[in-house]
Amino acid sequence: MTSTSFAATRRQVLGTAGAVGAGAATGLGMPFIRPAAAAGPIRIGLLEAKTGSIAAQSQYLVYGTKIALAEIGHKIGGRPVELLWYDEPSTQGAEQNFRKLVKEEKVVAILGGTLSSSALAEEAQAQELKIPYVCNNAAATEMTGKNCNSWTFRLNTPVDVQARMFAPFLMGYGKKWYFLTANYAFGQDIAKSFKKLLKAAGGTIVGDDTVPLNTADYSAYILKIRAAKPDMVLGGLAGDLATCLKQWDEMGMRGKIPFSEIAIGDTDLWAVGPKAATGLYTSLWWYKNPANTPAEKRMAADHLKMFGKPAADKSWMGWQAARSLFQSIAAAKSTDPHAIVAALEKWHDPDTGVSYRGFDHQMLLSNLVVQVKKKIPNKWDYFDVIATVPKNKADLNAVYGTAAEVGCHMPPA
Amino acid sequence: MTSLLLSQAANGLVLGGLYVLIAIGLSIIFGLLGIVNFAHGAFFAMGAYFGVTLYSHFGWPAVLLAPVLVGLVGMALERLLIHHLYDKEPLVSLIVTFALALMLEAATRMIWGGLGLPFNQPSFLSGIFLWGPVLITRYRFAVFVTTVAILVLLWAFLRFTPYGRILRAGSRDPEMVGLLGIRLPRVLTAVFGLGCAIAAIAGVLAAPLWTVDPTMSEGAIMPAFVIVTIGGLGSFPGAVIAGLLVGEVVTMTVQFAPGASGAVMYIFMALVLLLRPRGLLGERWERFE
Repeated sequence: MTSTSFAATRRQVLGTAGAVGAGAATGLGMPFIRPAAAAGPIRIGLLEAKTGSIAAQSQYLVYGTKIALAEIGHKIGGRPVELLWYDEPSTQGAEQNFRKLVKEEKVVAILGGTLSSSALAEEAQAQELKIPYVCNNAAATEMTGKNCNSWTFRLNTPVDVQARMFAPFLMGYGKKWYFLTANYAFGQDIAKSFKKLLKAAGGTIVGDDTVPLNTADYSAYILKIRAAKPDMVLGGLAGDLATCLKQWDEMGMRGKIPFSEIAIGDTDLWAVGPKAATGLYTSLWWYKNPANTPAEKRMAADHLKMFGKPAADKSWMGWQAARSLFQSIAAAKSTDPHAIVAALEKWHDPDTGVSYRGFDHQMLLSNLVVQVKKKIPNKWDYFDVIATVPKNKADLNAVYGTAAEVGCHMPPA
Repeated sequence: MTSLLLSQAANGLVLGGLYVLIAIGLSIIFGLLGIVNFAHGAFFAMGAYFGVTLYSHFGWPAVLLAPVLVGLVGMALERLLIHHLYDKEPLVSLIVTFALALMLEAATRMIWGGLGLPFNQPSFLSGIFLWGPVLITRYRFAVFVTTVAILVLLWAFLRFTPYGRILRAGSRDPEMVGLLGIRLPRVLTAVFGLGCAIAAIAGVLAAPLWTVDPTMSEGAIMPAFVIVTIGGLGSFPGAVIAGLLVGEVVTMTVQFAPGASGAVMYIFMALVLLLRPRGLLGERWERFE
């Protein structure tokens, strides 16, 4: 089965803590003007992987989306909202399902994009089919760079920006680095971005291995790393991170050479287990960060209540991306795709203070630098937040790059 | 460099040992039942999941029960489904067991969820051995020793016990075995259970090394098929040699051309089949030719 509709469970989630109140606070109770042809529920597509090693992350993206839906009482402008979840089984499968959602299911907008490879393909479909697309997970630089288009909005911080934020921290450990990156868009992007920064800082690449995706045994790579004696291992393994870290510990490397990666998910580390987890990472959100806003804390509480486990960073990403879309449709007072895009461009979350940048549709977010605790107290609480980057929110625009640096030349909608 | 190569060679042997254990159950089921069991990876993953669950409730000794339970599940499925395939074309068994694999993966996702389950090696098997330049972890060494022990026991069972002789005879001429008054269906049910139990042992042993998630089966099934094909369909010693060779080939490719390490076992299989179309120790099977 490729699609899942959340319409059947709508009533069950309706009663969730403070949800309706939050919806009212965002001004969604106002009358909703719609074209006569668009009667009935507002259908929104959700494209997240249901299978493969990335499915654990997408499950939490969906949890977050459901919470955002519950917050608005499953209604926008008085019309019920129906979410249709389709799979991203492969790049081609993601493209096909994107088209199916638009052409057959008649959705007004699409949320999703778990893997960079799928999201890049979905972005092209959004442009061709002229449908608003809010990408909630993929971090490939070119999405809001040279591949940008007016129909695509992206939440996650691009790989090259995360690299600029994170590299100065890592260089504090030394400048002899070993690269261990997966052989697909995300891993290649990480290797390219960090190598550029390392070389500019006078560092040395002592090893550079590209790893096939879904590699089950890392022992041969780890032996090479051990022999190369780097100051730092820079990973880009996405869904294979847990396997690598388990074997990293098994081969006695934990605590010997620091391991780091960007754009990981909490779920990756939860699968490693407290005994073997290690490393230094970037993350967009951590459920125990004291700096979380009241709305974020409320979301985390709802998550625990609805799903029986703490919110992961991916829950927050699913929630924040869905809020941007739901609030924008409400503000547009229409399901016309041009009106939704215009509203997304003007959108500003009143509770979390975030928005999309006009010229590349990139959400401007600070990143957290998190480190695995020396002693992990329970199966969820893995990280210490050691910094927020950039330190000053006023620097966000500069860190994300100017229009010329980003290279986005947006074609007209 | 020499010390690194020696280390990689030793590591390849140990990795090959794990591959052998994953493949041998598949080889037995094919060799004795003639079934191309695409669900083999699912029984491997089931072993890991049962092992993790038993450990979390009852501690390490209970993990030994996981292969037994998976063997029983395998026997039940053989009675319900697999035994209908014995007189069918091999392609039918491939399709049916592929569907079974998808169903078992979906069931795993429903029962345990999509999130990976944390599981690590026991503390008494943590740490590494350093023999001169060669590094081997205690856990991988234990996996290798276990694999050798299981292979020896299996070989002795098939070679020297009356039950083993019935199995070997039944795989070649089931009608004759039936005429001798032996109830072959029961024997075949037990063989399928045994193959599943061996897959589960591999799953339990791999659980501290791999991510225990519903996709775990995918990482096992393709190497298993490649090894059984290289070794020769249904050949017990062929699977052992092929598993060790694949371990070495993969490890050395990581050393010299890491980007090709995912494809190298398939290239190796193609080369072997070009030279020996029935695999290294494969025999002629009338049923499949």
